[in-house]
Amino acid sequence: MLLSIQHLKEDARHFQILALSIFLLTGIFVLGWDSNFVKYSILFSSVMLFQFLFAWRNNISFDSLKSAIITGFSLSLLFNANHWSLYIVAAFLAIAGKFILRINGKHFINPANFGICATILIFGNSWISPGQWGSAIYLFLLISVLGFTVLYRAQRLDAGIAFLLFFLGMDFTWNLIYKDWPIDFFVQQSYNGALLLFSFFMITDPCSTPNHRVGRILFSLLVAMLAFYLANFHFVNGAALWALFILCPLTPLIDTFLVDKKFTWKAVKS
Amino acid sequence: MKKKILVLSLMLLLSSAIYEVNAFCGFYVAKTDAKLFNKASQVILVRNGNNTTITMSNDFQGDVKDFAMVVPVPTVLKRNDIRVVNQSIFDALDAYSGPRLVEYYDQNPCHQYYEMKSMAARPASISKDEVMADKNEEVKEDYKVTIEATYTVGEYDILILSAEESGGLERWLTDNGYKIPAQAREVLEPYIKSNMKFFVVKVNLEEQKNSGMNNLRPLQLSFESPKFMLPIRLGMANADGSFQDLIVYAFSQQGRVETTNYRTVKMRTDKNVPIFIKDKFSSFYKSLFDNSYEDEKNVSYLEYAWDISSNNYMHCDPCSSTPPAMKEMQEAGVKWLNNRHQNDYSTSSDYTGTVYFTRLHVRYDRANFAQDLMFQETSNHENFQCRYVLQHPVHESVDCDQAYTYYKGVYDRRKKELYELSALTGWKIDKYDYYTAEYKDLMNDHAPKNSKVNNKGSVINMDWADESLLRKIISLVIILSMVFVAINIKGKMK
Repeated sequence: MLLSIQHLKEDARHFQILALSIFLLTGIFVLGWDSNFVKYSILFSSVMLFQFLFAWRNNISFDSLKSAIITGFSLSLLFNANHWSLYIVAAFLAIAGKFILRINGKHFINPANFGICATILIFGNSWISPGQWGSAIYLFLLISVLGFTVLYRAQRLDAGIAFLLFFLGMDFTWNLIYKDWPIDFFVQQSYNGALLLFSFFMITDPCSTPNHRVGRILFSLLVAMLAFYLANFHFVNGAALWALFILCPLTPLIDTFLVDKKFTWKAVKS
Repeated sequence: MKKKILVLSLMLLLSSAIYEVNAFCGFYVAKTDAKLFNKASQVILVRNGNNTTITMSNDFQGDVKDFAMVVPVPTVLKRNDIRVVNQSIFDALDAYSGPRLVEYYDQNPCHQYYEMKSMAARPASISKDEVMADKNEEVKEDYKVTIEATYTVGEYDILILSAEESGGLERWLTDNGYKIPAQAREVLEPYIKSNMKFFVVKVNLEEQKNSGMNNLRPLQLSFESPKFMLPIRLGMANADGSFQDLIVYAFSQQGRVETTNYRTVKMRTDKNVPIFIKDKFSSFYKSLFDNSYEDEKNVSYLEYAWDISSNNYMHCDPCSSTPPAMKEMQEAGVKWLNNRHQNDYSTSSDYTGTVYFTRLHVRYDRANFAQDLMFQETSNHENFQCRYVLQHPVHESVDCDQAYTYYKGVYDRRKKELYELSALTGWKIDKYDYYTAEYKDLMNDHAPKNSKVNNKGSVINMDWADESLLRKIISLVIILSMVFVAINIKGKMK
């Protein structure tokens, strides 16, 4: 039962957790990030605690702790703060946002994304470091991501791929074709661990993206357009995160026009 | 082992000692075929909201009439946005923030005392700078190049150009005596399309003569733009095919400055190194930097970061020179600080306000740096410095019961220092055998009669006590246990 493939396959989130842990371990052991274990322990314990409290109060399965751990990984990977208390704040905003910001019983925010952006906006003293990945380990991360996504037969991969295609397509057209930058300018732009993380683990989040496939692709297009605009015209760092944060209220709207059945994690179970 | 801090900080003017400092962040273009180098530049960046002030050190070595420079800038600068400042602020910042050596002295285990001495050297000279302006000029139709402004500032003649297409700009520059290096051409078009203006500089020989100064002074530009960047791509122009070094000194209000399109990596620091490094600290740090660069080429290295706000009492620890004062920061373009009130004794500085200082070291070339350097101001308040530790043994002979333990300690420590030296710099350490041999003999001489001496030392095991490794292991345990917990959670409905 420990790590048998059979057991892993029971829930798509298992593969997601494995992939995210590889990202984090790569950061610590290969890229030499500050191994701030206090940060990790605070983040993981607070997301689990808040998830537990909300799950208990709303009378839902504690199985949802798996999702909270995913949020914990995303926060560990993307979020930095000056003070440990802000890690608790971000964890709380992420989990509370997921339970409170709901329309028709479906939450429309990505918990980690909401936790990060809201904390930075409200409290400051925290930041994201889009440059922390470099481009050297890109291929390794890409392979690990693709490996896991193939394995877990994700149903919402369409959103991530659509986002990447739209975003890189616009970037290519603007910077390479229009502005005439050399090709390696674009390669550097796209070889970014943060972009991969966003495309495969955030915008693909099945719970907070539109239910209908057309809706999801439309949503990805809008996020990609806003991210491109913010990055190239306002020089916003971590533009994709902010774009998703701004546009996530569109999910329930799209859901009312393009109706499809709501996602539940158990649906993946084969 | 008991030890007392004795001597603080022997600081070397590193970048000037090690690197052939000779540059600006734009690119030199030769008017004649004089061989020009552009090996290392120093730049001060001050960021306040959307306002950026860039000060570029000028260490041009050739004949001043050959000096010519082009810097892409996001806006048409006004005359008041351009100043010449004194080179001395660079020297002061370099001295303050450079890698440093710290010396500690062992106490004699038989009797305890300590002495203190310190070393520091500082040059200082400040003079006034003049700003003069000229009139605007006509549009040059042929080239589709517009001269947006013409100024004379200090010893420099400055034009600000905007262009419609790179071919015209290139022809204009060539026809006006600026030789464009081949590698610079590919970025002219993208800069024009990005609506960048071109800040074109030559030396006004008359003004230069009148000023009575031999050296060209640093130029300072100030502008409003959300872009927080340094245009290094143009600077790769005449780097004769090899890399260039750039030292960035940044002042900001929120916290540490880092690059957003390249990784910002902390330089290896806080290492104990053999005491003979004192005489070759420059070559030591150069090798250390070269060695790190070999590992990772397209990153910016963090060499210093400090909270120098007025409410932080310690502006360095140890201080290798005087921390930046109000006057220097104002000259660098920091405008948000206030003079300290005469009766305000709450601070060690002569100003009040929040300010963070960051020193980044980038070694760039065309192959590894496809993009200009983009920066962001983070809220990171953690202090950082490159600090290497020398530990001196006692001078006089140690003659008491503790002698053997002491000498064995020194012997083990020195073995580890050599090992560290080799790991940091890649130097061969065979020739430094004498460094440990002396203490091996002393250790053997003082060995307790009945016990056998273990000469092996414990070099390898010591690494496990390394704090950073410990932190990594704890992080690893946390991450793996989260994976384990997550996968094994059995969801039960209440």
